[in-house]
Amino acid sequence: MRWWRADLHIHSILSPCASLDMSPRRIVAEARRAGLDLIAVCDHNAAENGRYVRRLAAGTPVVLMGMGIQTAEEVEILAYFADEEDSLLLETELQNSLPDVPCTPELFGDQVVVNEEGEIARRVERLLLSPVDLTLSEVVRRVGELGGLAIPAHVDRVPGGLLAMLGLFPEGDWPWVVEIAPWTSLSDVYEAWPGLRGRPILRGSDAHYPEEIGRAWTDLYLAAPTLDELRAAFRGRDGRAIQPGPELKERQ
Amino acid sequence: MNTKTVVAKVALEVLVAVDLAREVRGGYCSDLLSDVLAHAKSGDLWITHQRHLNVIAVGKLRDVAGVVFARGLCPSQDVISRAVAERMNLFLSTEPAFEVAGRLHRALHP
Repeated sequence: MRWWRADLHIHSILSPCASLDMSPRRIVAEARRAGLDLIAVCDHNAAENGRYVRRLAAGTPVVLMGMGIQTAEEVEILAYFADEEDSLLLETELQNSLPDVPCTPELFGDQVVVNEEGEIARRVERLLLSPVDLTLSEVVRRVGELGGLAIPAHVDRVPGGLLAMLGLFPEGDWPWVVEIAPWTSLSDVYEAWPGLRGRPILRGSDAHYPEEIGRAWTDLYLAAPTLDELRAAFRGRDGRAIQPGPELKERQ
Repeated sequence: MNTKTVVAKVALEVLVAVDLAREVRGGYCSDLLSDVLAHAKSGDLWITHQRHLNVIAVGKLRDVAGVVFARGLCPSQDVISRAVAERMNLFLSTEPAFEVAGRLHRALHP
């Protein structure tokens, strides 16, 4: 086993709020620049660009399929999959349940699927920032059914953070693992939410611009940079470990 | 003003009535539960679109007089059952939150 550096929260050009420079090719280049071993592209209610990033990266870095799902409560959930087809199936289900609100690019930005050649494969018409027609518990269940991992994104942040939106942890054992924002210090988060003590914490960059990729990260002590290993690390199996990197000093 | 009078003046549908004699001292409008935890006051009638089960826990922690779900957004049965168990008044309005808050304000500050 060894340490692997991961940034599991990167937006691409398919997120309307992300820069037009966040093409799959640029994401791979920036991830290599940042020395990342493992990344995931988590667009709002969309997974498609992840597969082009994965093909271009060809293992350097390793790319998990990902998505940032907006639940009916407007809580943002990061979903990770090993398998492309599972993530794309969920993407279709989620996008079919989005309200029929068009994305007006002048107001929200473009929602573009860009392939490994840098060509526009398609534009997504419905606004991906809208919440899907599934509650938080339904999203968590569906991600699990499809073999994925569901983790609440930047739990302390508005918009979308589980603890910010819902005030308290929901009942039950989910979430075992949470993500915190790039600017959140561990001491602040433990003070505000003592329930987070003892739970694995991930830090992601939530990058919307190329230079933000790898600005925040998590080091993972694993046998290999895979979803199954990540799952084992969440339970601390056989010495596997999760160490979030330091917080950014200034909120940008 | 007691809750029963507020219900009549604001024209609320009663989902769960556990204490309609409770004094309503004010109102609070928010869908962000961390904000409600930090700022709602005891005796407020809380107007929201948020229907997650945590609404009941947050309402209890802030000791609100009741929760109004606006714009006809009826909560699920588990929320209603929890409100019964935790003794929390729950109401529904078909009106948007702005209208509900306006009516409540007029009732409390005629």
